[in-house]
Amino acid sequence: MKSESLWKRIGLSLLAVTVTAGLLAGCSKDSALTGEKVFYYGDTTFNAENDESDVNPHNGYSGWACIRYGIGETLFKYSDAMEAEPWLATEYTNVDETTWEIILRDGVTFTSGRALDAQSVKECLEHLTEVHERAAGDLKIREMIADGQKLTIQTEVPVPALINYLAEPYGCIIDMEAGITDDGNVSGTGPYRATLVETDKGLTLVKNENYWDGIPHLDTIYIQTISDGDTMTMALQSGELDGAYGLPYASLPLFENTSYTISSCETSRSFFGVMNYDTEVLQDARVRKAIAGAIDKEGFTSVLMNGNGSAATGPFPTSLPYGDHTVTAQPFDLETSRQLLAEAGWTDTDKDGYVDKNGRKLTLRWLTYPSRQELPLLAESVQATMKEIGIDLQVNCTANHLDFIENGEWDIYASAFVTAPTGDPEFFFTTHCLDTSSKNRGKYHNDELEVLEEQLSRTFDIDERAKLATQMTQVILDDNGFVFASHLKMSIISGKGVTGLTAHPCDYYEITVDLDKN
Amino acid sequence: MEERQKATRRRRQVGKDGIKLKMILFGAMVAGVVLMAVLAPYLVPYDPYEQDLGNALLPPGGVHLLGTDRYGRDMLSRVIMGSQSTIFSALLLVAVITVIGSTVGILCGCHGGKLDALLMRVSDIFLAFPGMVFAIAAASVLNGGILNAVAALACISWPKYARIARSQVMTIKTMPYIAAARLSGSGAFKIVIKHMIPNIAGPVIVTAVLDIGTMIMEIAGLSFLGLGATPPTAEWGSMMSNGRSMLQTSPWVVLAPGVAVFLTVMIFNLAGDTVRDLLDPRQRGR
Repeated sequence: MKSESLWKRIGLSLLAVTVTAGLLAGCSKDSALTGEKVFYYGDTTFNAENDESDVNPHNGYSGWACIRYGIGETLFKYSDAMEAEPWLATEYTNVDETTWEIILRDGVTFTSGRALDAQSVKECLEHLTEVHERAAGDLKIREMIADGQKLTIQTEVPVPALINYLAEPYGCIIDMEAGITDDGNVSGTGPYRATLVETDKGLTLVKNENYWDGIPHLDTIYIQTISDGDTMTMALQSGELDGAYGLPYASLPLFENTSYTISSCETSRSFFGVMNYDTEVLQDARVRKAIAGAIDKEGFTSVLMNGNGSAATGPFPTSLPYGDHTVTAQPFDLETSRQLLAEAGWTDTDKDGYVDKNGRKLTLRWLTYPSRQELPLLAESVQATMKEIGIDLQVNCTANHLDFIENGEWDIYASAFVTAPTGDPEFFFTTHCLDTSSKNRGKYHNDELEVLEEQLSRTFDIDERAKLATQMTQVILDDNGFVFASHLKMSIISGKGVTGLTAHPCDYYEITVDLDKN
Repeated sequence: MEERQKATRRRRQVGKDGIKLKMILFGAMVAGVVLMAVLAPYLVPYDPYEQDLGNALLPPGGVHLLGTDRYGRDMLSRVIMGSQSTIFSALLLVAVITVIGSTVGILCGCHGGKLDALLMRVSDIFLAFPGMVFAIAAASVLNGGILNAVAALACISWPKYARIARSQVMTIKTMPYIAAARLSGSGAFKIVIKHMIPNIAGPVIVTAVLDIGTMIMEIAGLSFLGLGATPPTAEWGSMMSNGRSMLQTSPWVVLAPGVAVFLTVMIFNLAGDTVRDLLDPRQRGR
């Protein structure tokens, strides 16, 4: 009997020790056991809702993931002033209006082992323009000739911003011989390669031993999609993450004056409202002007965004040569807005606090979506100031916003958009403001703007383009068809001992060869 | 022997007095809370919807007793105003499910047969679902809004009342006084109104009062998830949700509505317990 209970006790103790050891091993990070350098990075954006479901640059906006996480690289990259400078290419010549010669860098290999040459770039761009509508529309490539490290591109029409477009994330050069796997993985030339791609969950990256521009410092990087900002805040505080992008503004003060580092940068991501010209009330220029003057941009930026942005005038930040300092917009002035509404015949006759005309109250539907944390805040702030001028603003903040757009169930649509992703102004106008624009949701039209765009599309001189862009911005601002609230200042936070994680004006380069953790 | 009986009787008398005292106390508290909700627009020191970005996130004290939120709105005013939407919708919800549930229960109990079987299987289906999950699904299909949240919760909460009413009706259906009423020529409707409802009311009312606290929690829960009240409506659940990211930096934004929910739910639950003690002595002390 005695010996039996002794064995029982020994058995139980052993079980307890094993379970405890198992638990501890499960809790510890892998690096503790293997001596590897492992980095955990939290991000809000790597998900299908964002059209960023994998790392294949030829699929929707997945190129952003490809370039952000150091998997792919483009022929040219943007400097801090958003000018295109050589990256996988070393130089280019604009032979004539439609012909460009690009010389590629020697000694670059894909993670598949293939060397980068003009033929591989040609194959990649051919596939891109075949499957990616937006890229095909931007680049307008007619023909490419590959000759060793020299690639000649001929375009159908003059594309003055071709080099800028090639620096867009969709322009990440991947090896088409190695192909694109079913889960959307690719062979790029970046400092890291993905070994596991899980949509909406994250990525596992390992170092590219043969990287052309130095030796990456980290062995493994886990990118984790955490869509809830508060969860991410706590993960960063507890040390589960070494770095994070997309934290709520309210959380940023928690990381100030600590061992964490905050890297911030002004970007061309703008929050703006679009007026629906199908709505009869909004066809009246005075009503649009009144609305434009009833948005407290300064308050929104300094208080609700905790100063993580700047009040906007037009679509482009002051850092760009055609930015806010070159244009003017209706200032925030509730008194003027009230007068404008009165001139348009909208007065509060029944004393219910809202203006009316012919017995109808002025009610507008403000459509927006919650995945950009600033948008619901903007909506609630605008709702309050609109009420002061007598407009009943009904906020519809929903993830299904595109369905409501489709059905025309909106009057003002507020969204966030990177207005100059290529450092060139034309993109914003061609996407949002022209008769042919794919995202001209409010059916905005202005003859003068169409003429100016025609000129811009044929202008190669950078200064001349900036001048035209300024004129075009002023046109859309005078019409008040678009109201710009704020430009985003984005922040990346690094944990203790992390170096080389810096925010960049174009929001593309996050994980680079410089990233290290000690 | 007689001594002991006397002592028991005395103890019961003291117990009864205690319950009455408790009833008065908690009844007054409930009345206070409901009165606060009714008079909310007159009690608030500031306009709960007026934004003042210059005074955003002021800590409690000074002119703003509970501080201000990120839009510079007075928290005390919002909490008081919030009582209206939260408490009224909870009361509305409980009233709706009590009436619907009891009606179905009485119908099943009196009628019996296929109708009873059908309605009870339907209620079984609803009871088989995890309540909150079903409410979340229903509320998101209905697209938010506090009335839709009430509708979603009503969908899953009525079967409980149907069951209680049905079992009570089944018990008293065979009682001699019902038979007597029937013999004396009373119609089915009259029997239900005059004899059944007064006799089954006790347990139904106890359940209803005890449910108010739970319903307040569930409505606030749906609003917290963004499926109930929509901004800028002052509602405790959505106020807590909006302040969530400031829990570490400006805790009062979450604590004020949180404490309000806690206190209100506690008052309604204690009052519910007392009502149960009063109406249903068998359950006393359990």
